[in-house]
Amino acid sequence: MLAVENLTTKYGALTALRDASLHVGQGELVALVGPNGAGKTTLLSTVVGLLRPASGRVVFNGVDVTGRDPASLVASGLALVPERRRIFKDLSVKDNLLLASVTQPKRFRSDRLDEMASLFPILREKWDVSAGYLSGGQAQQLAVARALMSDPKVLLLDEPCLGLAPTMVDVIFDLLVSLKANGRTVLVVEQQAQRVLGIADRGYVLRTGSIVAEGTGADLLSHGDLFASYVGNV
Amino acid sequence: MSVIQNLIDGLGVGATYALLAIGVSMLFGVMHLVNFAHGELLTVGAYVMYFLREREVAWIVVVPAAIAAAVLLSMAIELVAFRRVRNASPFTLLLTSFAIEILSHSVWRIWLGSKQRTFAAPDIAFKTFEVGGLTVEWWDVISIVVAVLAFASTGWILRNTLFGISLRASAEDFDAARLMGVKANRVISGAFAFAGLLAGVGGSLYLLRRGSADPRMGADPLLKAVIAAIIGGLGSLKGAVIGGLALGVVEVFVRTALPSGIEGLSDAFVFVAIAVLFVVRPQGLFTVTTAERV
Amino acid sequence: MMERHRALLGTAGPQAVASLVANLAVLAGVVLGGFAYAAGGGSSRDALVATLLTNMVMVIGFHVFVGNTGVLSFGHLGLASIAAYVMALLSIPLARKSVILTAKAPFGIREIVVDPRLAAIIGIAVATLVAALLGLVVARTSGLAATMITLALLFVVLQVANNWKDLTNGTGGLSSIPRLSGASWPVAGAVLAIVVAVWFRHSRSGRLAVATREDELAAAAMGIDVFRPRLIAFVVSGAVVGLGGILQTQSLGSLGPRQFAFEPTILILAMLVVGGMRTVTGAIFGTVFITAGKEFTRFLGDGPHFLGFTWPKVDGFPDLFLAAALLAVLLVRSSGLLGEFDAGELLHKFMHRFMRRFTRRLSAVPSATSADVIAAPSGLRLVTTDLGVTFGGFTAVDGVSFEVAPGSIHGLIGPNGAGKTTVVNLLTGIYQPTTGCVVLGDTEVVGPPHKRARQGIARTFQNLRVFGSLAVRENIAIADLVAAKYRASRGGGPGVEELLRLSGLGDMADRRASTLDYGNQRRLEIARAAALRPAFLLLDEPTSGMSETESLEMVNHVRRIAAAVGAGVLVIDHDLGFITTICDRITVLDQGRVIAEGTPAEVQRNQHVIDAYLGTAAAQPGDEVR
Repeated sequence: MLAVENLTTKYGALTALRDASLHVGQGELVALVGPNGAGKTTLLSTVVGLLRPASGRVVFNGVDVTGRDPASLVASGLALVPERRRIFKDLSVKDNLLLASVTQPKRFRSDRLDEMASLFPILREKWDVSAGYLSGGQAQQLAVARALMSDPKVLLLDEPCLGLAPTMVDVIFDLLVSLKANGRTVLVVEQQAQRVLGIADRGYVLRTGSIVAEGTGADLLSHGDLFASYVGNV
Repeated sequence: MSVIQNLIDGLGVGATYALLAIGVSMLFGVMHLVNFAHGELLTVGAYVMYFLREREVAWIVVVPAAIAAAVLLSMAIELVAFRRVRNASPFTLLLTSFAIEILSHSVWRIWLGSKQRTFAAPDIAFKTFEVGGLTVEWWDVISIVVAVLAFASTGWILRNTLFGISLRASAEDFDAARLMGVKANRVISGAFAFAGLLAGVGGSLYLLRRGSADPRMGADPLLKAVIAAIIGGLGSLKGAVIGGLALGVVEVFVRTALPSGIEGLSDAFVFVAIAVLFVVRPQGLFTVTTAERV
Repeated sequence: MMERHRALLGTAGPQAVASLVANLAVLAGVVLGGFAYAAGGGSSRDALVATLLTNMVMVIGFHVFVGNTGVLSFGHLGLASIAAYVMALLSIPLARKSVILTAKAPFGIREIVVDPRLAAIIGIAVATLVAALLGLVVARTSGLAATMITLALLFVVLQVANNWKDLTNGTGGLSSIPRLSGASWPVAGAVLAIVVAVWFRHSRSGRLAVATREDELAAAAMGIDVFRPRLIAFVVSGAVVGLGGILQTQSLGSLGPRQFAFEPTILILAMLVVGGMRTVTGAIFGTVFITAGKEFTRFLGDGPHFLGFTWPKVDGFPDLFLAAALLAVLLVRSSGLLGEFDAGELLHKFMHRFMRRFTRRLSAVPSATSADVIAAPSGLRLVTTDLGVTFGGFTAVDGVSFEVAPGSIHGLIGPNGAGKTTVVNLLTGIYQPTTGCVVLGDTEVVGPPHKRARQGIARTFQNLRVFGSLAVRENIAIADLVAAKYRASRGGGPGVEELLRLSGLGDMADRRASTLDYGNQRRLEIARAAALRPAFLLLDEPTSGMSETESLEMVNHVRRIAAAVGAGVLVIDHDLGFITTICDRITVLDQGRVIAEGTPAEVQRNQHVIDAYLGTAAAQPGDEVR
């Protein structure tokens, strides 16, 4: 479904991502874990076209989409829930969602709105409220709902639990599980490695810009490298 | 009595400033550009009026044609120049807009010379009527009505159309809007077109009263519009409207209040006031406030 | 102290001399070329040379402010206008004045007349004074706000010139202004402008201004208060532009509002931008390029016989050329045709060997070999007590206390969102704490970033902030310059050359910092912080973007530098391999609170830390972070 091949991304002189490869199959929930600053966000940003890679390719649905504009990637079915949500605080909840349906044919737009309203009842209650007034957990649900508006074939999530209270974290994890149960293909970047690997089909460990381990969630959890990446060699 | 009269005069003048200022503010919102080339849209409108009136085309055709010319020129400027410097520093963007302004001046001069081309303004532009002892110009009333309609429809478009929502979203977080599938080129091009439309409408109000075209005519009103946008807080559309109207009113009042001999200095006083304002509140009077949960 | 100053002279002095010589040579070429051309015919060509030179003075005046501070100004011709009007009003003979000005003229100006030379000096003085007053405002703002204030100045001056008819005779303008004899005035003016511009660029204020242009935040972290150098740049450039206004009025003999209005401003700015605003050479080149282009297009527009056929007579070609040249440069090469090219630098390189010998002689005595390095002063203890900050009801950092022993290396770690960056911002003065305090030695550290740097807290940045277009040596020398003034009491410590050597940057000292590879830029940033002679070094993610081997090299590098400076170090990083190797002790943050503190081994075994990092159990209940 989505394959990242030997991707290298630089910010000026800084190499944030080195020769990283990964793939996500149809219907899979794949976790990308690793310590802060390992290059996870850089990887996602490069995949969705916000950053241009120095080398390597991104193949989506069998097509090389390297360097394509984010908007056209959304239209072809690749959506990202960005780090720190980046919802439009000045727009109402409904307008946030409506905006995200811009790539959809007109006749589907209101159906998709209804769908999100039933999927996220908490948002339905706040339909006409400025999104800036939502709590952190509500805002994160809006961010996910917004990405789902374009009915993506692959959904990318960047740290969906960042800064959320523990009960909200549970809600987001439940959401991930239900997305997977509904057959959606998901690639999630998450700090809470043990927890996310517990629900993921497969995972990758990213460290200082390189992928250092991959395997099933259970494999990685018992793997020494994961621990070492975070806490260092004892 | 004269207070009310001044107020009406001021609002009539301010309507044009406000309509131009909305465009300036909008473009600043989406790409941090203070567009000094925006006044050139007025110039193109004026020349279109001049050409068509020379051929005795009816006003009902002339005005839409002038507005259309403003829209097209606005989009063309974006396509040829601003697209290439979209992510440059505000410094470069600002100078680019100046370069376009001079380019426009010199092109008109080369083509038609620097002399003023006049076209007879329609009679209505100078008719007045009396009400309660006040002499009111019809054109002031029309200006105010048209401006109010323009503000209302702008507000409606921004709130209720997908284009308007994309524009507001892009002004808040451009990359996030792109991640939602908003096409950067299309929304910016749209913003320029929309700004051009408002400039065309505001320009028509100004031009029908002025009745002439010359290469440098766009500079002055644009400067006022930029000031209005700054007063209102660049990026705030509501602020631009208030800023434009306020500037028009203040100008009229200052002009009538200054003693003879220095009455021509009204603009100077306004500029000093703006500079002081800027020092006290660099973000303008009506900065966009982002709703925040406390 | 003496040695240090002499060493500075040794590095900056010859460069300034080279720059001056080279730029004067360029000017001489321009003047000779101009006169050779003028010899071909008539007074209009003489006038052209005079116009070229007066424009050059203006362009150089703009360069002093715009080029060195990076703040765009539209207002300088307003200052030129002020100088010109003051000069004209003071020097026009009484007989003429009574004709031009009405009886209502203020300030008794109709009764005053002074010598034209004195009038010129007073004119420049008044312009400089206005620049100083306005500078107080401009230097406090930055970016677009500052630009708009300068624009307001231009328009206020214009409005006064146009409309205060009793004083300025409005659009009619002033004439019969007595002229100083001698065609050499513009040449002398241009030479003076170049001397001033080159002197300023290499002066203390000039170098600090350039640092703020390169990176305002990094400059503040070096103890540079952006206000002062920016103000001085504004005043100096105001004086130069005032000189330009006088020269122009002198060569025309008359004065009107249009002379210094908006179009001339754009002309001057276009010259500066097209040539390259950052160097005097660029300013000179831009002036010549635009003037020549305008002359040629004017010639074309006059309907000449040229290239075999008669061209139509067209008005407006020169402006078209101007706009097209400006637009083309902005769209294709926004740094200007010459970019950063400085004839002085070329000359300096050309004379490198000679200069080396020269500098060596100057700084030979104190040139420190490593054995001579005075023992580093002892470090100070850094204590934060109950540090906390709340943003609109949300507590980002809550009661953080830790202590860094003198000269030790302390780590601050924690998962994403733990509040590490907030703590850094609290320590460096970007945020003010809601509760608690920071104490270094026995003084509390307070105030904005540049004050804290002067108190002895130097820092590096997560996302590299070297002064990119400056030489590697100059990056360090600027910090040294600040240290010489504010950190003199610390004494000792390595000098510029010693820091270059310690950082392995000796061979690259003359390269632009932006051309270094990533690791070297990191080392340069640390060296620059060390040059501030800090009591305390704060390193914000020094290994981000580095491979593991590079990170391990960094361990030794940080230790070496810290020992040489005698500073304690606080390292914020997420690379635990690096942190556990380098640190004596580590403080771990999570959700804005300290969850563990101890030696690396203790921290690595701490279950709270493991949980926080791996997210096994839910973290402590806390307010949700947005």
